[in-house]
Amino acid sequence: MTSLKDRIARRCAQELHAGQVVNLGLGIPTLVANHLSPDAAVIFHSENGVFGFGPKPDYHHADSDFTNAGCEPITLPAGAALMDLATSLGAMRNGYIDVTILGALEVDAAGNIANWATRRAGRWWPGIGGAMDLCYGTPTVIAALQHTDTHGRPKVRHRCTLPLTGAGCVKLIVTELAVFDVLPGGGLFLRDLQEGATLEQVRNSTEADFTVAETVLAGNTVAECV
Amino acid sequence: MIPGKPTRETSPPHPLDKVMPLSAALAPLQPGMRLMLGEFVGAGEPVACVRWLLDSALDELTLIANTPGLRGGFLKALLFDSGQIREYIGTHVGTTEQSTAAYLENRVLVREFFPMGTWAEKVRAGAMGLGGILVPVGVGILDQPGLFPDLPTAKQTLDLNGQRYFVEPALTADVSIIKGWRADRLGNIEFRGTSTQNQRDIAMAGRYTVAEVNEIVEVGEIPPERVGCPGVFVNAVVQGVSLAEQHELYRQHWVKLGRLHAPTAAV
Repeated sequence: MTSLKDRIARRCAQELHAGQVVNLGLGIPTLVANHLSPDAAVIFHSENGVFGFGPKPDYHHADSDFTNAGCEPITLPAGAALMDLATSLGAMRNGYIDVTILGALEVDAAGNIANWATRRAGRWWPGIGGAMDLCYGTPTVIAALQHTDTHGRPKVRHRCTLPLTGAGCVKLIVTELAVFDVLPGGGLFLRDLQEGATLEQVRNSTEADFTVAETVLAGNTVAECV
Repeated sequence: MIPGKPTRETSPPHPLDKVMPLSAALAPLQPGMRLMLGEFVGAGEPVACVRWLLDSALDELTLIANTPGLRGGFLKALLFDSGQIREYIGTHVGTTEQSTAAYLENRVLVREFFPMGTWAEKVRAGAMGLGGILVPVGVGILDQPGLFPDLPTAKQTLDLNGQRYFVEPALTADVSIIKGWRADRLGNIEFRGTSTQNQRDIAMAGRYTVAEVNEIVEVGEIPPERVGCPGVFVNAVVQGVSLAEQHELYRQHWVKLGRLHAPTAAV
């Protein structure tokens, strides 16, 4: 059985193509790598200064100087390239990363994403890290998130209520129920339903308005007839 | 000026020898100073220097570091529990339990969070002798009223060539501590893997800089093109834990955090 998070990650993986430089954020996005074939030829980037890193090593091969942005051990296979921190963040700001997949607290119909701050003890917590640089400079930002929060409230909002990480930067929203394109100029377009999800379910758990692809309308009708 | 103190009796003292014991190397660090530390979520931390700091009575420090470090009570994170830090300047407080608690309980002042690229360039500006930098990231977001109530003044912006930028002042420190793999006695530093980070910039942004390394070698053993931080930017070199000890320290912590499987008994 596939968990909700893996369902989201698997769908995100379908959006990645050979030769793309990709940065995966923490959480659900990290799982995307598990759903790519070994010959996917995607170049993974990590903020701390590496292009083309490889999977986690075993205990005896874990090198304390080979780590990813979450301080987890990685490998550096043939073709990997290292750089210093300022270069790595400069690459993010300046559009050298093709795709980033980021977790989100909220996304909205204008392509805004909020993922760095919640209100705790009267203050914004926990902090920004590299997410804002990625949102600023990456041509394709994919938001990978569960459709509702732990209280069942919609996370795909008309307008984000939390401090933003990026404004108008999200191109695609992937949840366990749905895949939305963010249209140029704003507005959501329901491109796909995830397996087992219904249009009704998506309508009931999405705050933002959206238009629906013909294929979804057709497929949904079929599904309802079954 | 620099007290030369060779650790190997077999090697004749080099006139510019920067190797010295920890306590001598860190003697210039005083309470209330601005301290900059190399690291990335706990990777590339100067282990021996952090342990020395935790044992010291130095307090009221302003810590300038990318992140508070690695969760699970690892090294630098403990400085957020020891009451030695008055203010933290970085990108995040949520990477460790200690920094989260210190921030939410108002024990450590955090005026604002910087996007990592902004933080790195502020340090680089301090390293390169610049007054500051112009950054487009976060304009219209981080200058929203009420977001950072502890900021004494609103974030300054400047319009240039049709784009709006934040004017971000350079970051400098009284004392910088960096972590390298090898050093020669002149303080030339060689880095390993992803631990290069912005250690060189941090060295240059400090008025006085200590480099902790896994291994100290004779002058000439590090080829000039492999020097990641020239000794000119380093005032003191200290012997840290060996590379093998460092690997074991991180591996065991990764196992504790569930990020690595414990080795099987058969190995």
